[in-house]
Amino acid sequence: MIHLVEEMLAVKNLKKYFVTPQGTVRAVDGISFSVKGGETFGLIGESGSGKSTVAYTIVGSYHPTEGRIVFKKEDMSRESSKRSKLLKKEIQMIFQDPGSSLNPRRNIKQIIELPLKVHRISENKTRIQKVVELLKMVELPIDYLYKHPGEIGNGEKQMVAIARALATNPSLILLDEPTSALDVSIQAKIINLLIRLQKEFNLTYLFITHDLSLIRNVGSRVAIMYLGKICEIATASRLFEKPLHPYTQMLFSSIPVVSKEEKALKPEKIISKGEIPSPVNIPTGCGFHLRCPKKKDICFRKDPEMVEVEEGHTVRCHLYT
Amino acid sequence: MRPLLEIKNLHVRFRTFKGELKVLNGVNMVIGEGERVGLVGETGCGKTTTMKSVLRVLPPPARISAGEIFYRGKDILRMKPGEIQNFRREISAIFQDPLTALNPVFTVGHQLHDVIKYLSKARNGKYLSREEIKARCIAVLEETGMPDSERILSNYPVQLSGGMRQRVCISEALSVAAQLLIADEPTTSLDVTIQDQILRLLARLVEEKNISIILITHAFGVVSEVTDRVYVMYAGNIVETARTEEFFSNPLHPYTHGLMNAIPKLTGEGIAKGIEGRIPNYLNPPAGCRFHPRCKHKTSICKKKKPPLFTTGDNHRVACFLYQR
Amino acid sequence: MPEKEFLVAALSKRKDDFLKRWYYFSRNPLSIVGLIVLLLIFLAAALAPYITPYPEHAGAFTNFREASLPPSLTHFFGTDSVGRDVFTRIIFGYRFSLFLVVVVLSLGVPLGIILGLVAGYYKDTWIEIAIMRITDIFLSVPPLVLALAITAMLSPNLLNQMAAVSLVWWPWYSRLVYEITTSLRQEDFVREAELIGASKTHILLREVLPNCTASILTKMTLDAGLVIIVGASLSFIGLGVQPPKPGLGTMIADGARRLPAEWWTAVFPALAIIIVILAFNFVGDGLHDMFAVEEV
Repeated sequence: MIHLVEEMLAVKNLKKYFVTPQGTVRAVDGISFSVKGGETFGLIGESGSGKSTVAYTIVGSYHPTEGRIVFKKEDMSRESSKRSKLLKKEIQMIFQDPGSSLNPRRNIKQIIELPLKVHRISENKTRIQKVVELLKMVELPIDYLYKHPGEIGNGEKQMVAIARALATNPSLILLDEPTSALDVSIQAKIINLLIRLQKEFNLTYLFITHDLSLIRNVGSRVAIMYLGKICEIATASRLFEKPLHPYTQMLFSSIPVVSKEEKALKPEKIISKGEIPSPVNIPTGCGFHLRCPKKKDICFRKDPEMVEVEEGHTVRCHLYT
Repeated sequence: MRPLLEIKNLHVRFRTFKGELKVLNGVNMVIGEGERVGLVGETGCGKTTTMKSVLRVLPPPARISAGEIFYRGKDILRMKPGEIQNFRREISAIFQDPLTALNPVFTVGHQLHDVIKYLSKARNGKYLSREEIKARCIAVLEETGMPDSERILSNYPVQLSGGMRQRVCISEALSVAAQLLIADEPTTSLDVTIQDQILRLLARLVEEKNISIILITHAFGVVSEVTDRVYVMYAGNIVETARTEEFFSNPLHPYTHGLMNAIPKLTGEGIAKGIEGRIPNYLNPPAGCRFHPRCKHKTSICKKKKPPLFTTGDNHRVACFLYQR
Repeated sequence: MPEKEFLVAALSKRKDDFLKRWYYFSRNPLSIVGLIVLLLIFLAAALAPYITPYPEHAGAFTNFREASLPPSLTHFFGTDSVGRDVFTRIIFGYRFSLFLVVVVLSLGVPLGIILGLVAGYYKDTWIEIAIMRITDIFLSVPPLVLALAITAMLSPNLLNQMAAVSLVWWPWYSRLVYEITTSLRQEDFVREAELIGASKTHILLREVLPNCTASILTKMTLDAGLVIIVGASLSFIGLGVQPPKPGLGTMIADGARRLPAEWWTAVFPALAIIIVILAFNFVGDGLHDMFAVEEV
């Protein structure tokens, strides 16, 4: 299979606001990035960063407030009900909570065959064979066909979700914290499975997580999000060698690590302090200034622009403009 | 020195429609005064069940079929109701989800007020005045690093962030706990930057008040930064225990090895394969060592006999026949 | 794996599921008692003409020589003021009650479900507002009063009674299903179905509805009792089953005039109502326990 490094997904100045009785929630407030075919692009953020909203908007659950989403040169900046069927085959998603991403009242066979039915991928008779094939791909035994999600473990639920996502032979898969709810040994299994599948089917992943250690080992390029905006984008290795944005540094210093080598890699204690502000009440100027140990006067007043500090490494911080 | 808490050969079973689940299979733990102990294990290994046994809050389908739990030398499983009340005043717990641990229809101040009011009555024999209680509430919240404590008192739990809710739970627990704090996955539902703050807070408070803490988690990283000693649990058994530093530089049990390898490292060397197989079915658990079906190093004795904890230098104990002298 | 083996596997799974459900249902012995009693009552009502001692008494029949006899071996529950066997009439009376339950629930429940699904899915649009406001209007009037008003406007007979009670019953189900649907809309599996491109019909009927069946079924068993009471109340005041037909409420109306002397003509029909309602309730409890486990 030819591995084409084309621009698979491009997000341009995407915004998604929600109007609530408490005020306007600026969940996603102008983010831009692009994902190349075959790569794993990591989107890192904590709660309130807007990373899940980005995923849901890209996949079509929400209609963008502003900005553009371009997939394989086709503009798809609208909700899924207004998108073509082809797009629905090409882009799939794996959700964070395995308990709610599978309908507890349906069995595994029905769950996996739904996309096959909707897109008429196989005939009635051969459909079950295709389901069995998908189960084999994710290394689940055939007797899982008639089980219900409640009867299998969380890791296995995620494997079913992966099998379901593969059913339509997609090009792009969004993964929203796919292993956050899982134990570490099961996480390892799932991640290895995802990597193998990516190679086998030339998949592109948009991998959303808050786990920096994980993305260090899985992502090719990484973007860090805070309060609806991107703070920094770089290749995974470069970001970890030289994190520029103070929030990135704060994230790194907070990661609990196991070995001495890792401890040595963590930046000098940028001790985490303060709380993430509510997205209804975003501070003026740079959204991070209330917690930033390196803030200057200008940070209160003006929101910084994204600048390229070295090749492929961009930051949005007054320290570098 | 007599240990504060000693769990001896604890067996717990759960009744279900298919039969009895033999969850805990002889758990042994010792916690000394002022010690920070980590209990690590994956979902379903029985760590929460163990702690619920200590707190004596096991749900009805569960029963303690064997074993003893000694608190300050007294077996709490055989205590009379009056004694249990006293025991409960010296121990408290914080749980994973602070939102469900707090009552959503009462303000934070109201809940703290209740805790402190009844506590002081029990400890000092009289009720404090409202102003004194309020002052204690504010003091105890400030100790946990809560910004603007007085205003927080009039908030409802849903109005607070996860980190702040957990701080409220910690302040409640610490006002009660005189001797022992059990923290069950206290930071798992929190963001990593907040998790860091809460863990440092716990470490500091525990040291200041000389309380013992049992920190239950499935994250090794958390344990390595906050504890003095580690217990690893698998399928209802303790499989390894050692001082934290010794443990991380020299993990011995095959299960522990598998887990450590599976953790993604910041150094970026990729992710290992994980451990073959699944956690055992508690209905019909494997005979002998419960880990043997998944173990690369198993021998014939592993299938027949359950390995006791063997000691290998420096107070490091492993439940594995590989280390039998 | 050949086709036949899939079928075998599917069926054996169904059997296992059924056994598990039965275990949890039967943990409360009252549920089994209720189930048995219900089965007996249904059977008796179905086979009424064949198993009752005096089937011809269920209707216009008089025998003043055997009137107002107390309970005895020949007339288990005694006879009424015109000589009809009370026991026989009660068994026939169950026919009306149970028939009413079947009709009301088969009309009211599906209507309520469909409206609830649609309203819940189209939340925050005029569709939802229209449906739910109409539902609210119906819910704001007590069911008995509403059924009374409707039957009184039409001529009093069994058919109108059934129509009136059906009209009164659907709002409870649309409210129930609406609540469940709106909360499920945010679940990831519904999002997933939407993003795959499944049709709205599929989402509502195959993804959302199966999650409502537990609540619906439990509510139906408890409602059965209520339907019987409402029906009997309407008959009691003369708006439902008309004499000489043996509706349970009609019989109580007749017997109430003769209390306390000929107590058996009122007390036994009342007991009959109590027993069938209790049986439905116990079964409902069992169902609730059974479903509660599946949610864990």
